[in-house]
Amino acid sequence: MLNLESSNLSLEKTLRELFTTEKSVSIDRIVSDFDNTLFHISTPDPAEKTKIVLSIFLKCYNDLVKYGDVDSYLRNAYNDSQWYTVLDQPEDGYNFSIFIDLQQISTTVLASPEEMESLIAKLSLLKRNALAAPFDVAFKRYDVLAQEAAVKNVDLYVPEENSEEATSVINYREDETIYIRPSHDRVTVIFTALFKDETDKIFGNVFLQEFVDARKRSIQNAPQVLFSPYEPPLELRGLPEFQNFNYGQQSATSKYDKGFVTFVLFPRHLVPQKRENTITQIQLFRTYFHYHIKASKAYLHSRMRKRVLEYLKILNRAKPDQEEKDIERKTASGRRFVQRI
Amino acid sequence: MSQSLKPYLTAVRHSLTAAVSLEDFASQVAERHNDPEIESQRTPEVLLNPMVISRNENEKVLIESSINSVRVSIKIKQSDEIEHILVHKFTRFLTGRAEQFFILRRAPIAGYDLSFLITNLHTDQLMKAKLVDFIIEFMEDVDKEISEMKLFLNARARFVAEAYLTPFD
Repeated sequence: MLNLESSNLSLEKTLRELFTTEKSVSIDRIVSDFDNTLFHISTPDPAEKTKIVLSIFLKCYNDLVKYGDVDSYLRNAYNDSQWYTVLDQPEDGYNFSIFIDLQQISTTVLASPEEMESLIAKLSLLKRNALAAPFDVAFKRYDVLAQEAAVKNVDLYVPEENSEEATSVINYREDETIYIRPSHDRVTVIFTALFKDETDKIFGNVFLQEFVDARKRSIQNAPQVLFSPYEPPLELRGLPEFQNFNYGQQSATSKYDKGFVTFVLFPRHLVPQKRENTITQIQLFRTYFHYHIKASKAYLHSRMRKRVLEYLKILNRAKPDQEEKDIERKTASGRRFVQRI
Repeated sequence: MSQSLKPYLTAVRHSLTAAVSLEDFASQVAERHNDPEIESQRTPEVLLNPMVISRNENEKVLIESSINSVRVSIKIKQSDEIEHILVHKFTRFLTGRAEQFFILRRAPIAGYDLSFLITNLHTDQLMKAKLVDFIIEFMEDVDKEISEMKLFLNARARFVAEAYLTPFD
């Protein structure tokens, strides 16, 4: 459980259940995922139980459409199989729907477990794929910029002059945002780090410090991580929401302290064969990070509980030994003492 | 145990042993009342002078004694925010179980992290030397425990960060 899966386990199980059960049943199941994502698996028509619709709701879908053209990206990703089709009109209240006919699948695919597993895996990666769209766009933009720079003979790692390159802003949670900014020699991905709990915030700072230091210490090939506890990094200062930011002074008005975690993806991480892996990995940053903060808190909690019990034992040593009360005592001749009441 | 901790604990141990000499004392103010005088503070003539033993400004012990009760308050070392949180959580854990820790006070005295209240009832039922032992052992152990937890947190953070960043390679 050190690394989180990017597929949805619950969705995976539901699909496997549906694919393997002999008897067709009508189903109406809502499965939730991180970042307020919802999946809905249902049989819309009770008469035809083999026709299944899988829908996804993402809070940031509009941003994904705006910055990643997610609709066509997903359509592209999900037209490789004859076993499912993307619906033109997504289900009400959801952003994207896939139609699966169990009758078609059951005859052929279910005979080979590998094929079925790969089908299930593909469908349960729906959220990852949806969120991958803007990254894909940004990486493609990086390709273009890199080529232009090569033509113009721009030195690598020279501070860029034009800061007009568009930044994708994805509000994937309430008050929390991912910014993606392509450039000719790197792609910068910035997460806002928001903590609603004071303890989380301090633990989070410890964790983030280690993220920042990890590259210096052991993993030289990892993306560079930077953390700014309050001020937005330079890449974001052009954005309208940071226009009126008071640099150099703490804001008294903000409800929570918002930090910024910057990942600098270098060309090494953007080569075509590593691209998909990079997207999968970076998407999960917030979930992973918060999950491990909670896990450490839980560990400390149980450790303290154990320690308190130990203190209790030490204190109990202070109690004098219980006198043996109800033991029958006899004299040498065999007489007993009995209390007369 | 570090060099400066030992004399500190020895001083606390001797002062505590001297302070925990308690006897039953019925209230002089209210008839048929018998409450810890150090808490009610209504009879000045049975209160003794409080005593502070401090190792440094962050670590000290306050011993307030009276004829039938002693209040011992401990300030635990907190050198940074993390230690502060850990101490806070830990003391909350202890005070939440005050019922089982019969000598523990539910709320600490202002300026301290944890308070014990030993009354003559406790010394009647429990062995005095062992009570003092408990407090000393607690003081000795708690710093160690807090710094271990802090180290653990750092180690875990490092491990987690490396585990996350390695697959990028």
